[in-house]
Amino acid sequence: MSLLRSRLAKGAATAATLALTVGLSACGAAGGEQSDGATRQFEADNGTVEIPENPERVVATGYAVPTLIEAGAPLVGISSWERGEPLMSDEDLTTYEELPRIAGETAAETNYDAIAEQDPDLIVIGVPKPIFGEIDAERLESIAPVVAIGPNVPSAWREVSRTQADAAGALEQFDQVKDEYDTRADELKQKYADVLPDLKLAHVGGYGEVENGNFQREFDGSWGTNIANDIGAQYYGEVAEKGKGSRAVSEYPSLEELPSAMQEADAITYTVDPDGSAPQPVGYVLDSNLWKNLPAVEDDMTFPVKYTEAATYGQAKQTLDALDETFAPLLKK
Amino acid sequence: MTSAPSANPPTASTARPVVLAVGVIALVAAGAVSLAVGARAVPVGELWQALADFDPRDGDHLVVRDIRLPRMVLGIAVGAALAVGGALIQTLSRNPLAEPGILGVTHGAGFALTVGAALGLAGSAISQLGLGVVGSVLATALVYAVGRHSTLRLLLAGVAFSAVLMGVSLGIRLTSPDALDQYRFWSVGSLAGREQTDLTVPLVAIGLALAGALVIARSLNAVALGDTVAHTLGADVARVRTVTLLLITVLAGAATAVAGPILFVGLIVPHLLRRLTAGSVPWLVGLSALVGPILMLVADTIARVLLHTGEVPVAIVTAFLGGPMLIWVVRRYGAGSL
Repeated sequence: MSLLRSRLAKGAATAATLALTVGLSACGAAGGEQSDGATRQFEADNGTVEIPENPERVVATGYAVPTLIEAGAPLVGISSWERGEPLMSDEDLTTYEELPRIAGETAAETNYDAIAEQDPDLIVIGVPKPIFGEIDAERLESIAPVVAIGPNVPSAWREVSRTQADAAGALEQFDQVKDEYDTRADELKQKYADVLPDLKLAHVGGYGEVENGNFQREFDGSWGTNIANDIGAQYYGEVAEKGKGSRAVSEYPSLEELPSAMQEADAITYTVDPDGSAPQPVGYVLDSNLWKNLPAVEDDMTFPVKYTEAATYGQAKQTLDALDETFAPLLKK
Repeated sequence: MTSAPSANPPTASTARPVVLAVGVIALVAAGAVSLAVGARAVPVGELWQALADFDPRDGDHLVVRDIRLPRMVLGIAVGAALAVGGALIQTLSRNPLAEPGILGVTHGAGFALTVGAALGLAGSAISQLGLGVVGSVLATALVYAVGRHSTLRLLLAGVAFSAVLMGVSLGIRLTSPDALDQYRFWSVGSLAGREQTDLTVPLVAIGLALAGALVIARSLNAVALGDTVAHTLGADVARVRTVTLLLITVLAGAATAVAGPILFVGLIVPHLLRRLTAGSVPWLVGLSALVGPILMLVADTIARVLLHTGEVPVAIVTAFLGGPMLIWVVRRYGAGSL
């Protein structure tokens, strides 16, 4: 299953739950208490929305959850975001665990009373644009201004997260973390300038479908590659038949096509879990004899990469550290 | 309804050996095509080389030996297990709509997988296989404990228990994204991606159960006439029923555990053969063991080439083929053939 597809589905469930919540419990409660009454026009996926200039009670869902926690936004309620927990710092994880849950990962887990109790003055829906169309926006807007800000392609987390932080009035801390990321990325780009840009890289992603006998190949700008791109890594080739979202930068060939897909690669990176173990779809590839016969594998030019699901600058800093760790042997060759 | 076994039409008697011979040839052909067709274009000459003179450095040979051959063997085993399981349950229950999963096997396996996924125990193929087996066996044992006194009661218990398991599973999946993710792939049965899993135990179990089905088939001839007649003919109805149910559980449970729920094969294959076998349960079981794999291999080959974007789960193809085939049988031979 592609990551974006999975996330789209989960985001939709959460968002739909929010809409229902509003419909059930917030009749006549239009507009949470505004902080100081000052508003501004804000461009979001759902159009131009009038939002508080300095929101004080923000509810976040989906991708907006880790972003706004990291940016120090005034959150009063969040959806569950279990997949991002391994990437959170201890401090952020504590905040995440202490905040009231207004929705789970799926609609059925939503506490329908909790969202109304939070009386938000801004709701940030962090789901991709197509999913927002499934939300009953009118009901949601009867509680508080709603901005939908979600990624359409994996690498869009940079712009999306900044827009989310901007809406929530939390740009200051956000930009500080972003600067730290940029500095670290530049540092690594210099460090690997003599080896990385010359390599033809390929990446095996963590969302292949073993049940369908395929694997995920990721190209430039995908989940497993976009942060490596920032330090000079280049993944050759492109999707044979481009689709929308993550399908524009990753594809799912049959395992039978592994040799033709990666024969030309000088080096291959592959997604691993935070503990270093290969997820099942990656293990399916790594355990095959076709993999063992690839030139890059025979040349010992394979590199596991942790934290490929990063979708905030703080998380992406961990990915940079992981890339530095895995690519370090290249400097000795 | 199963027709009486006594007066077999001469045409059916003479046709059976011909169908058997044609079936064997068709199975070999389907197996060959199954080895030849896939995402990677493998020259026909390399197919034989891959089998007779395997070169572990050759990509074509690896595809044939490591991926397609195990998948073909799996398709034969699953097809035979489901078809024979269907023939046994339809004969035993004298119900044309019965299929192997009706005793709770499918939903038992699905329930176990859902619970296992929610508890984080279904992360590997082998653990999913184990959960499927355990779920199938436990569900069927419970159904048998409730409905063992009569076939009708057994079927009703199976349907009721399946509904309960389905509901509880759904509830768990709605509150557990991981369980939902793992279940939704398993729930669309497929033969792909199993080649790295050690399937020795389920395949041996299927082989033994198929042999057992052929042995018990003669006794089922009498039971198919009804308990009273069977008793009159000297059949040990209780023993035959118990053994048959055990065989159905092993066949359907093992097939479901390794490939997920694949519907229609167990339903359609016995119907395709019923008129031809003219009430002979041994022939029905034997030919089902031949035609089931053919249907499965053909469906699996179609599944690989149906969409240019990638293969679809074989269960979708079997359902797509099975529905029209069932309608054709009913229209061609009338409801009496069922």
